[in-house]
Amino acid sequence: MRKKLDLKGKGRNLLTFLTLVCIGLILITLTTSFVAEPVRNITGYLVAPFQNGVNDIGSWLSDQLSGFQDVRELARENAELKKEISELTQKNNELVQNQSELARLEELYSLDKKYSDYNKVAASVISKDPGNWYSTFVVNKGSKDGIAVDMNVLGQGGLIGIVTEVGANWAQVRSIIDDESNLSGMASNTSEPCIVTGNLLGMNNGKIDFKGLRDDDNAVTEGTSIVTSNISDKYLTGLLIGYVSEIALDSNNLTKSGTIIPSADFRSLREVLIITDLKQTREN
Amino acid sequence: MKRKLVIAIVIWCCFILQTAVFPMLGFFSCVPDIMLILTVAMGFMQGRIEGIVTGFLCGLLTDLFYGDIFGFQAFLYMITGYFCGRFSQIYFDEDVKMPLLLCGACDISKNLVIYVSRFLLRGRLDFAGYLKSVILPEAVSTILFTLLLYRLFYSINHSLVEKEKKGTQTLWIRE
Repeated sequence: MRKKLDLKGKGRNLLTFLTLVCIGLILITLTTSFVAEPVRNITGYLVAPFQNGVNDIGSWLSDQLSGFQDVRELARENAELKKEISELTQKNNELVQNQSELARLEELYSLDKKYSDYNKVAASVISKDPGNWYSTFVVNKGSKDGIAVDMNVLGQGGLIGIVTEVGANWAQVRSIIDDESNLSGMASNTSEPCIVTGNLLGMNNGKIDFKGLRDDDNAVTEGTSIVTSNISDKYLTGLLIGYVSEIALDSNNLTKSGTIIPSADFRSLREVLIITDLKQTREN
Repeated sequence: MKRKLVIAIVIWCCFILQTAVFPMLGFFSCVPDIMLILTVAMGFMQGRIEGIVTGFLCGLLTDLFYGDIFGFQAFLYMITGYFCGRFSQIYFDEDVKMPLLLCGACDISKNLVIYVSRFLLRGRLDFAGYLKSVILPEAVSTILFTLLLYRLFYSINHSLVEKEKKGTQTLWIRE
């Protein structure tokens, strides 16, 4: 009952040829650091402006739709916001006082390089990975705007990802929730390093994984913030990744692993900030 | 020549739709694979060669912008086009059942290959979880979109075929 594969006919030669081309390309990308830079740039010019335009239309439409919100709801929201403003003004006053104190102390310790001092470029997300397996996206700024590979990307609330490829007018970003993403983080209170990995299934519950955390004093608990570590060679130090949600001792009785709730909002990614400073490494 | 141009424009439109429009709409938990539908439709309606070429181009475009292994998606889509081209002998006008079946089958097998090669090999063993959260939802939305889009691709192809027929007929036999 074995059905013989019909490999005669016109399609055969083409199929064989293109299969060889594909396998060749796969092998080249796996073994060497081949990048199809020129081809990518040309197609970038063909695609990115249109994605950008389509996106503008989309956001314009959603803006229009949100204009039709219920008036009563808006009034209620307005009242709430006013209350919040008064609270915030009070808080702000306190903070200004603290700030001046902090500035003084920072000067004392010469800790002038903080994360607010990094140069940032705002970019908007123009397209996302076509499948459902990966969490990569493309933004509308590229090498023309000074973007380079390995620059860190921030979103609302924290770290979003890292630039993996750059064209003239676009850049591809791999987010930290992507299943193949690995980065070196550390617990903010103990400064012990750990590995933070993205997780496709975990993101259904809004969580990613971390592992390999040394925590002998049980200082890391639920809610401890995890930031990028100082030993990472691509991520700048101290960017907020998220907060520990579950933590448990590994079977080796030495390290702990668990899950993190990312602090950045990955559901509605529209605008991101790209830090144009690169981490200092031995090469640069 | 005209056919090639039209197909290229359709592929390009599908890519824009797939990457810039559907993910941003936000009401899909899983985006449908329109480029797969196009590949299946072209292979099924026009035969292997067209299927292979359309699939290869769709995959290559995806590889150019996304994905780190260059040529992987191109290979998957090309095989899809070839596979569907083998069914072109039973192609029958306006029949939507066969394309639905092919799209569903191709989408599931494409995702199974991706799961095994990119996730299982990295030690992600929870197959049931991936089946439930990615493979099946994508298959369902792809099949739903086949219902809408196959008609469109069919009519594009139909009008192209009509024009080609007219071009080859002499004045005497033209009706």
